[in-house]
Amino acid sequence: MTPFPYEIVIGLEVHVQLHTRTKAFCGDDTAFGAPPNTQVSAVSLAHPGTLPRPNAAQVAGAVRLGLALGGRIKLYHSFDRKHYFYPDLPKGYQITQEAQPVVTGGVLPIRMKEGELRHIAIHHIHMEEDAGKSMHDLLPEASLIDLNRAGLPLLEVVTEPDLRSAEEVDALMSSMRRLVRWLDISDGNMEQGSLRCDLNISLRPRGDTAFGERCEVKNLNSMRYARQAIAFEVERQRSILESGAQVQRQTLQFDPATGTTQPMRSKESATDYRYFPEPDLPPIRLESDWVERQRQALPELPEQAYERLQASFGLSAYDANLLSEERETAEYFFALSPEPGLAKPLANLLINQVLPWCRSEGKPPAAYPLSAGQITGLLQLIGQGRVSHSTAMQRLLPVLLDDPEKQPDELARQLGLLQTSSEADILPVVRAVLADHPDKVAIYQKGKTGLLGFFMGEVMKRTGGKADPKRAKQLLRGELARPH
Amino acid sequence: MTVPPDLPAIQAALRGGNLHCRQLVEHYLEQAERNRALNIYLEVFREEALAKASESDARLAKGEEPGRLFGCVLSIKDVLCYAGHRVSAGSRMLEGFESQFSATAVERALAEDAIILGRVNCDEFAMGSTNEHSAFGPTRNPVDPERVPGGSSGASAAAVAAGTCLASLGSDTGGSVRQPAAFCGVFGLKPTYGRISRHGLIAYASSFDQIGILSRTATDAALLLQVIAGPDPYDSTVSLEPVPELEPLLRDDSPRRIAWLALGEGQGVDPAIAEAYSNLQGELEKRGHRLEPVQIPLLNYLVPAYYVMATAEASSNLARYDGLRYGHRTARAGDVGELYRKSRTEGFGAEVKRRIMLGTFVLSASYYDAYYRKAQQVRRLIKRELDRLWENCDLLLLPTTPSPAWPLGQMTDDPVGMYLADQFTVMANMAGLPAISIPFGYKDGKLPLGMQLLGPAFAEPALLALAHQLTGKSS
Repeated sequence: MTPFPYEIVIGLEVHVQLHTRTKAFCGDDTAFGAPPNTQVSAVSLAHPGTLPRPNAAQVAGAVRLGLALGGRIKLYHSFDRKHYFYPDLPKGYQITQEAQPVVTGGVLPIRMKEGELRHIAIHHIHMEEDAGKSMHDLLPEASLIDLNRAGLPLLEVVTEPDLRSAEEVDALMSSMRRLVRWLDISDGNMEQGSLRCDLNISLRPRGDTAFGERCEVKNLNSMRYARQAIAFEVERQRSILESGAQVQRQTLQFDPATGTTQPMRSKESATDYRYFPEPDLPPIRLESDWVERQRQALPELPEQAYERLQASFGLSAYDANLLSEERETAEYFFALSPEPGLAKPLANLLINQVLPWCRSEGKPPAAYPLSAGQITGLLQLIGQGRVSHSTAMQRLLPVLLDDPEKQPDELARQLGLLQTSSEADILPVVRAVLADHPDKVAIYQKGKTGLLGFFMGEVMKRTGGKADPKRAKQLLRGELARPH
Repeated sequence: MTVPPDLPAIQAALRGGNLHCRQLVEHYLEQAERNRALNIYLEVFREEALAKASESDARLAKGEEPGRLFGCVLSIKDVLCYAGHRVSAGSRMLEGFESQFSATAVERALAEDAIILGRVNCDEFAMGSTNEHSAFGPTRNPVDPERVPGGSSGASAAAVAAGTCLASLGSDTGGSVRQPAAFCGVFGLKPTYGRISRHGLIAYASSFDQIGILSRTATDAALLLQVIAGPDPYDSTVSLEPVPELEPLLRDDSPRRIAWLALGEGQGVDPAIAEAYSNLQGELEKRGHRLEPVQIPLLNYLVPAYYVMATAEASSNLARYDGLRYGHRTARAGDVGELYRKSRTEGFGAEVKRRIMLGTFVLSASYYDAYYRKAQQVRRLIKRELDRLWENCDLLLLPTTPSPAWPLGQMTDDPVGMYLADQFTVMANMAGLPAISIPFGYKDGKLPLGMQLLGPAFAEPALLALAHQLTGKSS
């Protein structure tokens, strides 16, 4: 098979909806899922005489993201109006930042499935407001408009055309989602539209340095759609190029029903947004001290946490990835600061017990009922071989969860769960198990050594899991070696 | 009944029991009724005003200390929002629209016990210099009903001149308070940009719009400004500069250095105005002020630059009137594009459409640099030029208008001629500076003339003090 003769070039415009308490330019509520048109004051409805008011939380969110991406924070930036007529845009213009965005430059590290790290350059980040929602298919003869979303604060993160595949787009959106949640500026929820992207896609023959003509696919709110849109667009542009024709610059929308892209408007009727400085909002001036304080207040970033989990705690890339998905999880891990031998057991505890609990309870790890002392105690019991891992998880943990006052070692003693490695305790059980299964012993001795697992299981069952597995195995081997 | 000459005198009479608020309101209502033919009021809040007056009287009788504006009966231009009241910006587009909130200026005046008698006519969306561009018919000049009262706050000036209210709140984007004040023979104050919150003022051109005051005396303007000016969380362009206590500053008669604009040939100034202008210079010198002439070479660029920027902003500010959420909506449309086109075509008048088209044109990508950016440069230059002027003088004197009020219909087919009539007023809006039009002299002993003083930012006390000196016969 000949390799694909074109290089795919993709740039993204990622829209991050900030989870501020109020809208970008007025005091309306922002909670998702309210009944249509219930979060709409006169400002959201663009009544005559209303004026926008800047939202300090939006500016702070933009600065926080800009700092996290290593961008330049512009101490002086300003708003512009972008005009177009659409029923879900009440003012007939969107307040955005065209000439002077709040952040320029920056880099977002993305991690591919294979663990490879790539750096995607950010062109700029600007603040703007969301439009309302149009629903065209609920009624046969009319469209419905919900303006609850109109005026919600957005950050638009515009990347350089640094992406080369759908997998990279996927990785970028995952990194972005993780970062905005990590920074606590957005819930990053794609299903609810708090994270969306526009894709700029072009092809160029491999080896070329000049970019090909690009098309923009608007408003993708799921990764599946983004992948489908890229696949379709690459195929479409390839066939145009191979027929010897030119790709026409177009704005497209993705149709999930067919998996295809359709032109929204062509070049001939290209929209002129008639940008000009927003006269109702004075330019914003930031104090450099304030920006510096924001920088100091940044938490350790997910990529750094991911690295540290591996380098300082010896975790696998897989575990490190799971533990650095949410800031609360990583911070929980770091706060417990496990001794070298306990890092892996702690990672297991988090991944298998705590995170599932968080998902089902809808709470952060910090709300997990066990104290740090209890968790450390539990892990130490396992690490010191005093309680087996499975016993600890299956028998000790549920009791501790019901009664968070208890100390693990004391409880293990009370419940008789402490492991024993004493020959006096284990050997009689080993002998009894072998005596009860003479046929299996015979088969083992003929060479079916795999039966050791069966005998181990019996021993553990009869000791209630208390037998130290290493010692039990050793004694079993010894007994089985003797002729019966 | 004779109304005392200014608010302090009215308040003294009310406190002394020689006058009652109710009497006062009844008097103004009667005047409004008598002048119906002038088409000043779009709506008179008769019962409401009478009820408030009775309430004020009762509270005064009980010995309660009234608000600072008690006895102040106002009219408001039809671009100011008043909660629960209709506001239409003189347009079919907003016919029947009722505001859910009050403009900050309106709310502050009401909180100090002012009484709002009604809303008055204006050019549609404050675009015009004659009041002929109202969808609800032209307002006539009380001095000569065959003439225009000026615009766009023409009915505000007429309301004051005809004695239907003590003062009126208008708005001034390129001269819309000062020019009608001059045409009707009253005071017209346009404060510094950002002095009064624009919250609740229907926007024409946001970076120029400023609420202004039309009154019979400088004192009344000062007392009103005192109450309605100052910081407001609902307008982020409003200034945080504190508002000084203005009333005592009215009596400041210290000598000022006043630059006066030397008039050129091309300005087409009416001889009567030229004469009054030079008389005023003499009068000011006599009062101990130092006068010296200045040239402002940029003057001829101001009107074109102003109309580029103001129409650009207007085209944007008026995009919201699409018939979808409120206001006029066409009876029948096949799709949303047609709904927009027809609603806007039916709802807006000719002058508004002209300015929306001009503004859309100058903002379009291919012309932005040639028009809008150039106009921005002119704006920066005039600001700089005036800043330099204040290094050597305190105030700038110039006529308010090149001519007195003209007959109805004269300018309706000459929009450019009408725009040029703003040549002396747009400067204050371009530079965001305060200016006041002072009634001074008459043409043919009948038509009032207005002279304008312009000052550096927040020089309202000096402007009002000089205006007070020149006409201060009362209090």
